[in-house]
Amino acid sequence: MSAVLLWAGDDDGQPAQAFAHPSKARSRRSQPGELPPEIEQAIWRGCDLGQQAGRVVSTGFIALDAELPGLGWPCQSLTEVLSPQPSVLEWRLIGPALRTVVATGGNVVVVGPPMQPHLPGLRHIGIGEKHLVWVQANAPAERLWCTEQLVKSNSCGALIAWLPQARPEQIRRLQVCAQTCEGPVFLFRPAAAQHESSAAPLRVMATFGLDWELEVHVLKRRGPTHEGLVRLESVPGGLSAVLTPRLQQPSLLISSRDPARVNASEVPTHALGGTASSHRPRRYAPIR
Amino acid sequence: MLWAALLLPTGPDATPPSDDALRGLAIWALQFTPRVAVSGEAVLMEVEASARLFGGKRALRDRVVQEGADQGVRAVAWAITSLGAHALARAGIENGFKRPLDEMLDQLPMSVLTAVGPHHATLARLGCQTLGDIRRLPRGGISRRFDKDLLGALDRAYGIQPEAHAWVALPDTFEARLELMSRVEMAPALLFGARRLLLQMCGWLAARHSGTTAFTLRWSHDTMRAKNAGEGGELTIRTAAPTRNLEHLCRLLAEHLAKVELLAPVGDLTLVADDVVSLDEKSASLLPDESQAQESMQLVLERIAARLGPERVLRPLLTEDHRLEWMQMWQPIPQPLPRKTADPVDMPQPTWIRTPPLKLAMRGPRPMYQGVLLLLTGPHRVEGGWWHRIGEGEQASTGHVQRDYWVALSENAGVLWVFNERLAGDETAWYLHGMFA
Repeated sequence: MSAVLLWAGDDDGQPAQAFAHPSKARSRRSQPGELPPEIEQAIWRGCDLGQQAGRVVSTGFIALDAELPGLGWPCQSLTEVLSPQPSVLEWRLIGPALRTVVATGGNVVVVGPPMQPHLPGLRHIGIGEKHLVWVQANAPAERLWCTEQLVKSNSCGALIAWLPQARPEQIRRLQVCAQTCEGPVFLFRPAAAQHESSAAPLRVMATFGLDWELEVHVLKRRGPTHEGLVRLESVPGGLSAVLTPRLQQPSLLISSRDPARVNASEVPTHALGGTASSHRPRRYAPIR
Repeated sequence: MLWAALLLPTGPDATPPSDDALRGLAIWALQFTPRVAVSGEAVLMEVEASARLFGGKRALRDRVVQEGADQGVRAVAWAITSLGAHALARAGIENGFKRPLDEMLDQLPMSVLTAVGPHHATLARLGCQTLGDIRRLPRGGISRRFDKDLLGALDRAYGIQPEAHAWVALPDTFEARLELMSRVEMAPALLFGARRLLLQMCGWLAARHSGTTAFTLRWSHDTMRAKNAGEGGELTIRTAAPTRNLEHLCRLLAEHLAKVELLAPVGDLTLVADDVVSLDEKSASLLPDESQAQESMQLVLERIAARLGPERVLRPLLTEDHRLEWMQMWQPIPQPLPRKTADPVDMPQPTWIRTPPLKLAMRGPRPMYQGVLLLLTGPHRVEGGWWHRIGEGEQASTGHVQRDYWVALSENAGVLWVFNERLAGDETAWYLHGMFA
């Protein structure tokens, strides 16, 4: 008798819903070939991307987000980015994610970068004076030690380390430490490392394309293997403001460049020290 | 009343522990309570009122036992009277609350009370072996035949008479000395002794509600040293923010000691707190706090700077200049950023800088870097710095630059920031200065 009263009692939100739910599921089950929704949710299919247990930071590229489990760079785990050359595409690839990190008050710590970071350029991806720390670690052991200390301290908004010579067991150790780290940890490594095994749950191979784009291939992720390349449009360092329509596709310019026609006319005559300017008196050199 | 007795080990022939050791332990104990007294070979403290501050009696007991062991404490005992605790500690019983104190004390041998000492032989001939046996003798007879100290000590131990103590006062400066148990020849091995001193210093700082920004560890060589070794050495360690975090100070000291080379074996250590600054207490918070993340960032960077050197953990600082080399400076982490910062340059700028610029090879009139470069946009003229002198005397040079910057594209190396500079005469040269990465 009381059960019937509860069925009818719409004012009492909780019990009414608890009873209403199975009845809905029962009505669904009548359709053939379809699982009840609560079972449907619990099933993981091999063709689906895996779930990311922790928080993620969006990469800023919709196409790349769609390929990553949890739709972004994972926190509490390592992300390995392999590239054929260092210092070619790092900030272009992870810059949009760093912008989110910095906007929430996090610090960006770089350990052992291949060159000196240039803050005026980094301001274009939102990194300011207060947000950047440069740890000049050179020896492989120093790089690993600094990275491990920073990961363990769990105080960086984002940690970016260049570990060209790390061994698989060292990466594994970092990955174990990183499980308590709230921010994303990026390890930049040479492309040759793709043949080594690695404990990092996410590994991507990134190269740059001539037409202001990055080409990313996900080597390892929780989910099915990734086929092909993701092309991401990215113009670095505030250059988008000065690109003319002709420069939107530099690959056309390069392919049209005939090696036989290499001559002085390629270099603009108004360049300092160009063929024309060398005839001019020096003190009247144009100031632009 | 909750009394703790901390017993320091005595020498092989019952020589009492040194005054230095007792004083050091008392200073460390002052962080828990102002009621600390030294009695014989023990330090007594009353912690009833502090139990809640340190997270309850059990947590307090665990901490005292653990840190006490680092200080070389042989035995700890807890009871409702100080003499009772002292007696229990001598007998090796830690918890004086298991049964009523009378029952526990009655079973202890007579020698656990210092006041029994002069009359031990007489009492033994009377057939007394335990404190209970003495108590069963008639009180009037005891007070007539022995001095009043014996009866007074018994009454105070059993809580019948009140106790009076001369409290240890907190010194205004901290300087502690430790004689090492054996001669130490390697600098990192000094850390074991230094840790005991640091523990005392942290206790002293906690009692003063302060933190330290600089402390000095001195070591003196023993008398068997070589003539050129000198008396000893010292190491001053500075921290960016006042702290009394033992682990952090230990790690900092370990990093610095790793670089020290001892000229002769070391006999004893002295630790002095140089700069003491009052420290704002952090209130314990249920929710994670943003400022605490910042704090641990500072600690970890300090630790890294201690190993790598302060000039290798850097923070950028923008300056008002258009020349790429002087557009930003790098300063060590502990230095604060100036309040007024330079305005950002709104021009396209590379994200990596190559120092010094790399002179590029040429193919005909065109620069090469991993292939012939395609100049995309430019020139961007940067000229200035005639006022800028670098260096002194013979090596003086000028920071004057006159360059045309171009954005160049290399098929292999990405988007580059190259410049063209006039050399002597009509010659010019191309340099790679940065990367748009």
